[in-house]
Amino acid sequence: MKILIIEDEKTLSDAIVEYLDGEGHLCEVVYTFEEAVEKIELYQYDCMVVDINLPDGSGLDLIRLIKKRSITVGIIIVSARNSLDNRIEGLEIGADHYLTKPFHLAELNAHLKSIHRRISFNGSNELVLNEIKLIPEEHRAFVLDKELVLTKKEYELLLFFISNKNKIITKAGLAEHLWGDHMDAADSYDFIYTHIKNLRRELLKKGCRDYIKTIYGLGYKFDIT
Amino acid sequence: MRLLTKTTLNLLSISLFIYLFGVIAFYYSLRIQVDSNVNKEMEKRKNSIVRQMEEAHSSVSQPPNRNEIVIVTPVDKAIPKDRYADTLIFNKEEQRYQLFRQLGFSETVNKQPYYIQIYKSLEETDSLIVSIITTMTALVILLIITLLIVNRYSSRLVWKVFYDTVDKVNRYDLNTHEEFTLQDSDVKEFADLNRVLLTMTERIKNDYLNLKEYTENASHEIQTPLAIINSKLELLLQSGEMSEKQYKALADAYEASIRLSKYNSTLILLAKIENKQFPESKKVSPEDIINTLLENLDDLIRSKKLEVVKRLLPDVTLLMNPYLAEMLIVNLVKNAVRHNVKGGKLIVELGESFLRISNTGPDHPVDKNLLFKRFYKSSSSPESLGLGLAIVQKICALYGFEVGYQFEGQMHCMTVNFGQNKSGTITNNGFV
Repeated sequence: MKILIIEDEKTLSDAIVEYLDGEGHLCEVVYTFEEAVEKIELYQYDCMVVDINLPDGSGLDLIRLIKKRSITVGIIIVSARNSLDNRIEGLEIGADHYLTKPFHLAELNAHLKSIHRRISFNGSNELVLNEIKLIPEEHRAFVLDKELVLTKKEYELLLFFISNKNKIITKAGLAEHLWGDHMDAADSYDFIYTHIKNLRRELLKKGCRDYIKTIYGLGYKFDIT
Repeated sequence: MRLLTKTTLNLLSISLFIYLFGVIAFYYSLRIQVDSNVNKEMEKRKNSIVRQMEEAHSSVSQPPNRNEIVIVTPVDKAIPKDRYADTLIFNKEEQRYQLFRQLGFSETVNKQPYYIQIYKSLEETDSLIVSIITTMTALVILLIITLLIVNRYSSRLVWKVFYDTVDKVNRYDLNTHEEFTLQDSDVKEFADLNRVLLTMTERIKNDYLNLKEYTENASHEIQTPLAIINSKLELLLQSGEMSEKQYKALADAYEASIRLSKYNSTLILLAKIENKQFPESKKVSPEDIINTLLENLDDLIRSKKLEVVKRLLPDVTLLMNPYLAEMLIVNLVKNAVRHNVKGGKLIVELGESFLRISNTGPDHPVDKNLLFKRFYKSSSSPESLGLGLAIVQKICALYGFEVGYQFEGQMHCMTVNFGQNKSGTITNNGFV
């Protein structure tokens, strides 16, 4: 997947590129509004990560420009502004997701993956990883063609793990993905543990290998290596 | 004690003191004056009596005047000197003593020495003195009373500016963005006071605004570096082989940085509410928010085995910013869940004009004054930010809602009273 990252903070865009590296993406980075417009005019991208506050313009205007030219591209907004209005406006003009800085790279990656699935299979798709098969549209998961009995949260957890396979996912990142702002990180760690325990048990029961590794006090890793 | 009362009392006590002395001095000086007049009169009388005796062979006719008595006594030897004195004589007709001035002297008439006493009643002069003193007292009292009244009214007028200033300073609030003006005064002291106050508030306001701007800018600017720290730490985690010790250190740093960004974004939110940066209002349904929220908190509620009771009046709407409505309810409910006990109870009640969230918890009431303070945390949940209720209070103040805490029947109740303000208008005096 070809991704254009428009983020004026170089260190942050570097971090994004590095995280996405090895996921089979082709990442390009620009730092200004002007550069972004140039790139969009010249090349075709599958997905864009747009910062709203650019030194020479607004990321929102960039999205409007893209939509005006009917360019099909997945858009994820990253912004330091956590206001509902910005969020609503961004989503209304055609962005797929809105992430507030600071965000978890795993979260960004999961969103990119979901955009990727949507554009590459036109929505109807199966996500296969070794013996695991997910049908994201229907929120169903299978191991060796046997359907898993999962709660909504457990399913989300599995999808998030698969999107970020082989990466260490922190507990805080998991908590935010599962509950958003509604639960404070510290409160949610116990539930993460419970959900993971249940998910792992269900996977093992259906004959899946044990991919979920606990990394000390830090988080988990869906290790398929 | 008011300044006016104080000065009046001082004035009153001093003038009464001076008046008392004045009256006594006046009385005695009058007395002396009267006595010397009477003495002179009696001197004249003495001469006339002597003449009379010489002519009428030692007999003196009693004067027709009842105010005068003359007693002539033959004596062996004359006393050389005249003697003046005051004396009391019993008046048989009126059955009382009367004050008389007495002159005693000796005179030899036809070789016979006589001792002659002249008594002159002081009754009349005395009553004159009394009436003078009385009139004077009345006048002085009248004068003092008039002075006091005039003083009082003129003070009222003069001090009006001062009281106005005090009132305005008392109500002065940096957050209202209102212009701070004071009445002009032609009294120099008050004009000075107002000038100094105006300069002072202006300076305080500027300092406050600078500080606020600084904090807000700092908070906003911190977000991006925080995003960098977080992402770099996350990258570092992926980098591969690390010892457990290193992982632990990394995990702590990561947690701390996430916590910091949570604090920061919450503080930004508080500042934004204070600055009224959530202007647009929509019809929001508290019921929907509550239902979604309880679903979201399902894990937490189930783990604490809480019994949730919902008493929601249907179709209640509020006209307010949707994001703030959510923040308000989320923070109240989260608070009630977090401070609950295992197997406890959570009651969410929504009425036409109120929202009440009651929960079981510690069996003693919480200090109301500390409850809404920023960074106040109960010992039972040290991980919480301690900003939830501060947000609740700010939002309520913004919309003119009343928020209160009660401890009733072992339940901690937080009640938000929407009051009349269902229109969603932001009140001007919201921040008290």
